[in-house]
Amino acid sequence: MSDTRTHKARDIFVEGPIDPAFVGTSIAKHATRTDIGAHEIFLGQVRADTVAGTDRLPGAGVAAIEYTAYRDMALERMTVIREDAFAKWPTMTCLHVHHSLGTVKAGELCFMVFASASHRKSAREAVAWVVDRIKAELPIFGKETLSDATHIWKSNP
Amino acid sequence: MRVKLFGMIAEKAGSAELEMEASSLKGLCEGLRARIRDLDSMSFAIAVDRRIVKDDLTLTGTEEIAVLPPFAGG
Repeated sequence: MSDTRTHKARDIFVEGPIDPAFVGTSIAKHATRTDIGAHEIFLGQVRADTVAGTDRLPGAGVAAIEYTAYRDMALERMTVIREDAFAKWPTMTCLHVHHSLGTVKAGELCFMVFASASHRKSAREAVAWVVDRIKAELPIFGKETLSDATHIWKSNP
Repeated sequence: MRVKLFGMIAEKAGSAELEMEASSLKGLCEGLRARIRDLDSMSFAIAVDRRIVKDDLTLTGTEEIAVLPPFAGG
């Protein structure tokens, strides 16, 4: 895994939900990297928020999110964020990011940020920082389909 | 020039792309307002060559332009 230091542009997008088994496989792939002392993983899951509105049934909740993205811009922004993160936390050895496109149902995983470092502090700080930057800067759009078949557009605060 | 539309903006316009004529970003925004009903009721940003641009800019017609509604990653 010597190429992890080249920080080349990677496709972060996966079609549909992120399989929880993929998270386990991702951890296992680092077993040969004995310079790593800490992994930190953030997993985003689609939440079945209840959405009020005069035009929908009472108690209608988010059943799924359909994600789309401006892929080229998102990957360019992600490369910048990745470079910034490696500059900010030089002891971080790997950073893996995956985000869903297409439909992800409530309860399924849509987002993973996985950082490894020699010690826990760098990995923890880097993941929190990278998650926030991705949510603020990557042109990813989410159409929330509600249980009454209406929809609204998700917007990060 | 072709303008890419995403999310709720594409939904409102009924298309993921619009063919527009404009020599400045300001002119482009005026054109978009005329083409997309209720555009001003939505929050959006314009990306030129995959970077968000806030100030007016001269356009040559070769730029990659996109209209971006609020981000919702994660």
